[in-house]
Amino acid sequence: MDILVCVKRVPTVGGKIAVTPDGQEVDTRMSGFTISPHEECAVEEAVQITERLGGTVSVLTLGPEAAIDQLRDALALGAGRAVLLETDGREFGPAATAAAIAAEVRSHGYDLVLLGNEASDTGDYQVGIRLAHALGWPVATGIKNLTTSADGAVARREYRGTEESYELPLPAVITVKEGINLPRYPSLPGRLRAKRAPVERSAPAWQPEGLRKQALRVPAVAGHQAVILGRGVDAVPELLRVLGELGVL
Amino acid sequence: MSELSTEEQAIVATVAGFVDRDVRPVARDLEHADSYPGELIDQMKRLGVFGLAIPEPYGAAAVSTPCFVQVTEQLARGWMSLAGAMGGHTVVATLIGEFGTERQKQRYLPRMATGEVRAAMALTEPGGGSDLQAMTTTARRDGGDYVVNGTKTWITNARRSQLVALLCKTDPAARPRHAGISIVLAEPGDGLRVSRDLPKLGYKGVESCELSFDDYRAPAESLLGGTEGRGFAQMMKGLEIGRIQVAARALGVARAALDDALRYAQQREAFGKPIWKHQSVGAYLADMATSYTAARQLVLHAARRYDSGRRCDLEAGMAKLFASETAMQVALNAMRIHGGYGYSTEFDVERYFRDAPLMIVGEGTNEIQRNIITSQLVARGGVGS
Repeated sequence: MDILVCVKRVPTVGGKIAVTPDGQEVDTRMSGFTISPHEECAVEEAVQITERLGGTVSVLTLGPEAAIDQLRDALALGAGRAVLLETDGREFGPAATAAAIAAEVRSHGYDLVLLGNEASDTGDYQVGIRLAHALGWPVATGIKNLTTSADGAVARREYRGTEESYELPLPAVITVKEGINLPRYPSLPGRLRAKRAPVERSAPAWQPEGLRKQALRVPAVAGHQAVILGRGVDAVPELLRVLGELGVL
Repeated sequence: MSELSTEEQAIVATVAGFVDRDVRPVARDLEHADSYPGELIDQMKRLGVFGLAIPEPYGAAAVSTPCFVQVTEQLARGWMSLAGAMGGHTVVATLIGEFGTERQKQRYLPRMATGEVRAAMALTEPGGGSDLQAMTTTARRDGGDYVVNGTKTWITNARRSQLVALLCKTDPAARPRHAGISIVLAEPGDGLRVSRDLPKLGYKGVESCELSFDDYRAPAESLLGGTEGRGFAQMMKGLEIGRIQVAARALGVARAALDDALRYAQQREAFGKPIWKHQSVGAYLADMATSYTAARQLVLHAARRYDSGRRCDLEAGMAKLFASETAMQVALNAMRIHGGYGYSTEFDVERYFRDAPLMIVGEGTNEIQRNIITSQLVARGGVGS
């Protein structure tokens, strides 16, 4: 089975998020870049499927040249081939991103395309669906359990407390969520192999889309408030009342 | 460190991530139970840690010695026993890679790289550790075999090794004595048994054993390199990397103790302020960090020297001596900073304090290291440039 996994270079966000002075980007000077946990799981899922059924795992990203770092991370996890759709640094909207990936899928031919459920920076939730639409393939999103065979896939997800199950013929597009598996560590030989693996490149044209980024702003966080219930033993009745209210007692 | 390539930096970061996610949360319980960390060792196999000293075509991930030092340090930062589980293995891999016949390389190295075959070193004897040339274990040629008799002790991983690199005398009458010493690559078989497990202060979880050879037969082709009398020189080379590895373990213990103490000193308050602001505690932290950093530079210096191909017993000896004494001092000071909690088994500091002495007495005592350093100082006409 030939699988394509799409990943996106996004800022690593651990603690507080800062924005550059011009309000256009997340300030990454102290943080660096990564791919989202959903996408790490997508790579792991693809590697597991091919370990079971045979086949190949290709990994693709649309982004600047520096995004090769993220491709190499995926290669170290077990992907065998890397494709960079190189941009000039401008952010592609979801429609243009899907169109560029669709062109690669048509030219190469895959049985399955896996994506993360949403990009962890823009959070558009669109690329997987638009890609499937462009290809005329079935799509399932938000998947946390996937069973694949040569004949097709059964994809399951939780929705409002109930489990939904979809049977999809292949080829298909599936977007997965963190928790579908536990991604492995890249092996140390994998790391070294990843360095030597060639990266195939092409450069799709940027297209304007309906939605454009004006500026980023970090929303104000509501401050925490501490209430002193009393001092010493005198505070106990009030403390019991609050704990009772919280349902702890 | 910047001297590593980006790939080697990524390798160290991968191992650091493994240690933080999978090792540190369970190390204390496994250590107190003295349980064999089978799951963690399996993960280390999958990571490729056992192949770090095995070059292509036999392995896939040979790294520079400075990178190997940093991987070892990371493992020991999580739990020194894990770094011990790959220490002797790496020395044996280095010996086979450096001196083995093509057939020996083919037979062992590919399977050692994946950890399928794990190897142990057998040097020390119950009657003498530091004085290797006085050993009494013999391998007597008998037809197409060597017949081995004797006892070796302090064999880490003895119960789980499929290969033991055994230092023994193939010619007990030889003069000088080292001319009669050889290394036999012994696989489990009749006449070779683990006679007992040694109880230890620390270094728990992985077994350290006594091995008895009682008319154990090894085929003649299991002689490392195929020529008798080379064992002492071979082992001296193996001990260079072995001592660098032990020094790196000491760095890991020191680093863990320093990290814990630094964190605790910022959380714990006394007399209305965090204890690091009390000058006496702050001074401990400064000294601990300074000694650790100096030790790390010394170990990396030895590692670079090793990779240059030049003799590095002086450098490896200095690294092992200084890093192990530093680990002990840093662990003790971490305990002082933690106060009563440092003495409690509910914290990790007491483990660092029990693990650190292994590196002082292991892989050649620090007294022996000083002898080596001094004799090299005289031989080289000083400390060099």
